[in-house]
Amino acid sequence: MKSSSHTTTAIVVDDETLAREVLREHIASHPELSIVAECSNGFDAVKAVTELKPDLLFLDIQMPKLNGFEVLELIDHKPTVIFVTAYDQYALKAFEVHAVDYLLKPFSKERFEEALEHAKKNMQRDASPAIEKIVSSVQANDQPVERILIREGSKVHVIPVEKIDYVEAQDDYISVRSDGKSYLKQHRLSQLERALDPARFVRIHRKYILNVDRLARIELYAKDSRVAILKDGTKLQVSRAGYDKLKKLL
Amino acid sequence: MHPLLSDRTALVLYLIVFLVIGLILAALLTGSGNIQWGAAILYSTPMSLLYGLICLSSWYVCRSFPLKTTGTGRIATVFSIAAIISSALWILIGELLASVLSSFSFASSLSNRSATQILLFAGAGIGLYLLSVAVHYLVILFQQSQDDERRALELKILAQTAELRALQAQINPHFLFNSLNSISALTTKDPPAARSMTLLLADFLRQTLKVGADQRIPLSEEIALCRRFIDIEQVRFGTRLQLKDTIADEATSCLVPPLLLQPLIENAVIHGIAHLIDGGTILLEADSHADRLHIRIENPYDPDRPSAKKGGLGLENVRKRLHTLSSTEARLDVSEHNGTFTVNLTLPVFKE
Repeated sequence: MKSSSHTTTAIVVDDETLAREVLREHIASHPELSIVAECSNGFDAVKAVTELKPDLLFLDIQMPKLNGFEVLELIDHKPTVIFVTAYDQYALKAFEVHAVDYLLKPFSKERFEEALEHAKKNMQRDASPAIEKIVSSVQANDQPVERILIREGSKVHVIPVEKIDYVEAQDDYISVRSDGKSYLKQHRLSQLERALDPARFVRIHRKYILNVDRLARIELYAKDSRVAILKDGTKLQVSRAGYDKLKKLL
Repeated sequence: MHPLLSDRTALVLYLIVFLVIGLILAALLTGSGNIQWGAAILYSTPMSLLYGLICLSSWYVCRSFPLKTTGTGRIATVFSIAAIISSALWILIGELLASVLSSFSFASSLSNRSATQILLFAGAGIGLYLLSVAVHYLVILFQQSQDDERRALELKILAQTAELRALQAQINPHFLFNSLNSISALTTKDPPAARSMTLLLADFLRQTLKVGADQRIPLSEEIALCRRFIDIEQVRFGTRLQLKDTIADEATSCLVPPLLLQPLIENAVIHGIAHLIDGGTILLEADSHADRLHIRIENPYDPDRPSAKKGGLGLENVRKRLHTLSSTEARLDVSEHNGTFTVNLTLPVFKE
């Protein structure tokens, strides 16, 4: 996405002061670049990107609270990204595969210029597809997810999976129910189902994924139709296939 | 399966032994004069070979009653009964064979066998069976000692591999590159600080290489290394990272394997402090009581972080190294509680 004026707005995200200073120093020699925010952790980064919608994002990977990929997952506005990392074999492979721009700390002035030049070219087109690809390729490991990240405005909620009661599909969104509150996230239920630990979470219905720890009992509701009663009294419909899955697990 | 059954040469040798025994038995039969040699051999060699096979079965009995765990009385009872049954069975088959053979004219003299000769056969049967038991126990003992030796060797290799891996894992590339990046940042902004960071790093690397070559180093040296490591990381993390150490005087001279604590301190930084926005303080305590050295490392961590990432490999390496040090007296305990991660180490005191 091209910014309306001639200046390119940039946000620098790194938890180390010195690392941010190096970037600032290099960016300073480019009058067309303007740093609109510097962030030292993932939460601040999500907030700043959401509010300031920069053209360019210098993004560290290892950070407190949210890592660089989690930040990207959470933001709607996808700027062109230059990843900055010291050493991360796994991420490097992903960068190479998806031809994204990255800087390996420590980096030279030349390397910085090269990455910036390339990123500027990429700025002409929409960065979202490339970012989504790299985020999903980094996240697609065999481990079940341990927490769900949900952004509300510029605030980020981190919900550990054990605190989830159930998840409900609502059109293009999922509603995650935890501690008496519901959190909306644009996500597909089937995608979440694959990411969650199957020993703990069961798709009991087209519309629901249930944390089996919350299940109190199952009642027959009509012929071939059952409801799951949760410990807090919530009733959820259970499909026939869902009932079979539950039976197998319990 | 019986070891002889999988080794053809040994099996053939074994049967040859029983063939010889068969000939001896034939001599026994002919001794009285009224049985011909031909008939005696025709009878006693198949009998002997058959008994050779029967005796192999004692292997399985020996295996079910291991010498170490079975009482002598029990062994004596079990094998007396087994020997009598085997021998009786054998004699019974022998009688059948004799009655069949003696119906032919060339072996009719077999019906002249005296009761004493049959009893002699029965005695030989019992003796041979007990002999096979003794041999089988010897074979089992031999196999066990070989197994033990192999296992000890495997354990040694495992320990050395763990040691090697622990040492190789010392200089974490992430640490090195981040430190170099700090230097790169400081060169323009604060050249004296860049120089002092370079010296800190050189110092740390030199110390790591030096102690890595030793078997054991005084705790004081290991602590110095940890402090140096924290000095370097403080350049990156600034005030977010603090170290508070309390080392009892009598503990400083205790000997520990080199680079035992540094990886734990590094873990406390990487998996603990680095993920806290406001950072925190790492506690390092050591004291010795009686003949035990106790070391405790404590750090705050972010409870929202996925638990799987809290320390894995480094801890595992330290645990393995402790195990090779002393599998009974050295231990490592880990606990997480209320956002505090604690590692407790106990090891026997070694002094110079």
